[in-house]
Amino acid sequence: MTSASTTTITAICWSCGRPAAGSHFCAACGKIQPLSHDTDYFAFFGLPRKLVLDPDDLEKRFHALSWKLHPDNFVRASEAERERSLERSSQLNDAYRTLLDPTSRVEYLLAHEGMRREGQQKQQAPPELLEEVFELNESLDELRMARAAGGDSEERARLSKTLAAAAKKFQDSLAGVDAELRKLFVAWDAAIDAGADEAARRVLMERMNAALNRRSYIRNLVAGVHKELTEEC
Amino acid sequence: MGKTVGIDLGTTYSLIAYQDPATGRPKCVQGPYGTPLCPSIVSVDPDGAILVGEPARRRLLTQSSRTIYSVKRLMGRGIADVQDELKLFPFEIAPESANVLRVRLGDRVFTPPEISAFILRELRQWAEQFFGEAVDVAVITVPAYFNDAQRQATRDAGRLAGLEVLRLVNEPTAAALAYGLHEKRSGKVAVYDFGGGTFDISILKLVSTGEGDIYQVLSTNGDTHLGGDDLDNLLLARARDEILREHGVNLDTYPEAVQELRKSLIRAKHDLSSEDRTAVIFDLPGGKGSWVREFTRAEFESWIASIVERTIGPVKMALADAKLTPSEIDEVVLVGGSTRVPLVRRRVEEFFGRRPHIELNPDEVVALGAAVQADILESGVRDMLLLDVTPLSLGIETMGGVVAKIIPRNSTIPASAQEMFTTGVENQTGIDIHVLQGERELAKDCRSLARFTLRVPPGPAGLARIEVKFLIDASGILQVSAKDLRAGTQQSIEVQPSYGLGDAEIEHMLEESIEHAEQDFTERQLIEARNEAEITLTATQKSLARDQARELAAEERRAIDESSSALREAMAGRDYKLIRARLETLNAATERLAELQMNSALSEALEGKRLGQV
Repeated sequence: MTSASTTTITAICWSCGRPAAGSHFCAACGKIQPLSHDTDYFAFFGLPRKLVLDPDDLEKRFHALSWKLHPDNFVRASEAERERSLERSSQLNDAYRTLLDPTSRVEYLLAHEGMRREGQQKQQAPPELLEEVFELNESLDELRMARAAGGDSEERARLSKTLAAAAKKFQDSLAGVDAELRKLFVAWDAAIDAGADEAARRVLMERMNAALNRRSYIRNLVAGVHKELTEEC
Repeated sequence: MGKTVGIDLGTTYSLIAYQDPATGRPKCVQGPYGTPLCPSIVSVDPDGAILVGEPARRRLLTQSSRTIYSVKRLMGRGIADVQDELKLFPFEIAPESANVLRVRLGDRVFTPPEISAFILRELRQWAEQFFGEAVDVAVITVPAYFNDAQRQATRDAGRLAGLEVLRLVNEPTAAALAYGLHEKRSGKVAVYDFGGGTFDISILKLVSTGEGDIYQVLSTNGDTHLGGDDLDNLLLARARDEILREHGVNLDTYPEAVQELRKSLIRAKHDLSSEDRTAVIFDLPGGKGSWVREFTRAEFESWIASIVERTIGPVKMALADAKLTPSEIDEVVLVGGSTRVPLVRRRVEEFFGRRPHIELNPDEVVALGAAVQADILESGVRDMLLLDVTPLSLGIETMGGVVAKIIPRNSTIPASAQEMFTTGVENQTGIDIHVLQGERELAKDCRSLARFTLRVPPGPAGLARIEVKFLIDASGILQVSAKDLRAGTQQSIEVQPSYGLGDAEIEHMLEESIEHAEQDFTERQLIEARNEAEITLTATQKSLARDQARELAAEERRAIDESSSALREAMAGRDYKLIRARLETLNAATERLAELQMNSALSEALEGKRLGQV
């Protein structure tokens, strides 16, 4: 993934030939433009690449752009315009979905900056949770064995209860991770405003990456437990 | 270019509607029987004529093996999907059905899109008669939960009926559109659509913006195999059991009697929506007496409770996907004939904790909404925008038969995803792609949508870079395009649909059907014209044999004789318009005769009375 730079590729309008500055519609003739190759979801909404977003503001922008780009507008337009409309509105919808949710928003930013790296081994538990994870996995194994052995249902019920409680604890800890991410968002925006250098931004991005990995790990863990528990029902 | 209309192609009834420029509101077109409802029933007469709607419905009782109802339940499906339903239908599925069902009606074989096309053509004729001009552009509705194959089948049906299908609109969304006109509201709306064959639940957000109102679907869920038909089938099964037990009559060998029984049970079902009890009197075939059965609403409700309960699962999932609780819903709208059942209304009210809206006719509201959308698209005057979603996740099959989801369910459409493919083996010249829809992990548990092969120039493994773009359009139908990034060229892909007709097949059908269409319509007109002519000629002969005929002047008598011969001559030919024209002439010529007879009959009656009074 190439890192984003601020060079604008000078495109020209397919309809009137005048320069089109990579916007949705040609400033001169108003015709809908094809997507430029290097699409940035933030730019699509006319937003800077900052992480703190007002969901209501984003929704307003989404609605405003939907009115303009939706295929409903282009039913009797040329084939080229209809295709452009399909491209742009599908991009709009994807961009909205991605930016609306804080987790996918920061994932997108990191991927765009070439900084998204998933946990080296998917199974690697965050160090501070090692002990609890170990215990949880032990209980999971016990439950699986008990079920396979056609075992004692009271034992299984007990194990299920323990697991459910542990899963809930992990689920709750997600709130902590999300709070941490929110703080990092604020820090990032401040860094952008202050014109921080590459190194400073990298540090922040590393921390966001780590938080995201922790988040994924916990979610997968909880999902795994729920899966086992539903087998018990 | 002709008028644009909205069409509800329903399981039980179909309707056609338009935007009335005088009132700015949508209206349904009335059919020839004084109702906008056209039964979604098609029958094939022994001489090959195609009947649709009310005339076909009558054939259910007399020629059930040549008549098909609820064809919507067969659209976009393969033979394996409909196995258990087959036993319930009196018509035959032709053995040559593989991934496209073929239904045998009489000695003709049709695919479901062709049958649906007959219904669409009928509606189109209604509209053309009403407007006095051509109607060739339409918006057609589909259940929100219809998958890609089912949508394509619907679009194919439109094409076969000679319609340009501007858009397929989801039924609950269309209803919301019609409803929104009725009472300007904003907030979160749940549309509970329980029709003849399908169930849909859609959660929408209505937002007023500067440019107008946005109807944004947040989530949708449903069951394309759950509807009023299931209530009917349950009643029928129980009735048949009872009849077997009590009277020892097995109805398996009496398909027409089964249809008669079904008709009575449906009427009873309707009765129980407004009455507490009703009765069914069914004459057993073979003169074995009657089955007389009283039904109470309470009993009926206990039987259907589990079917109604099946609608609640999808409702819960839709709410979960929209991240809403039932109490956060501001309005609930009921759509579809089956929502007239009191138990359904109670259950919905109970679930959402508020009374659902039923102001708009649940049978018409979807067609009305389609007309509104048709008008928006055609006229370009917009103060309403529909943002709908795709109901099912789109995925590609990867190693080990696992599905990689590329477009999640409830993504706003149009939606797209891009995937990069390369070769795994040296000099591999094709990459096979299998596209599926569904939420399960394994390909075998999802719905196979299509397969295609990417062409790759030979080379070392891992060198090729083929970018495939998957795009779900505003009708919810998938389009695929591929680009060889290294060569910089677009690749045309031939997508093989897993269920449904390929483009070539449709083209062929279009050619054939355009010929047949004219033929079928003409055939029917001819038969009807000849019948009417025969009746009139017989009546005329009878009149001429009576006393009053002697009072006719010579020229009058000659006029009748001449127009009778002319009519007979026309009847021997195939020009139905000529037959009708000559029938008009004969009717005009016999007016005086008719008058004479009327006067004579009147004076006889009066005399008789006087005599009687004596």
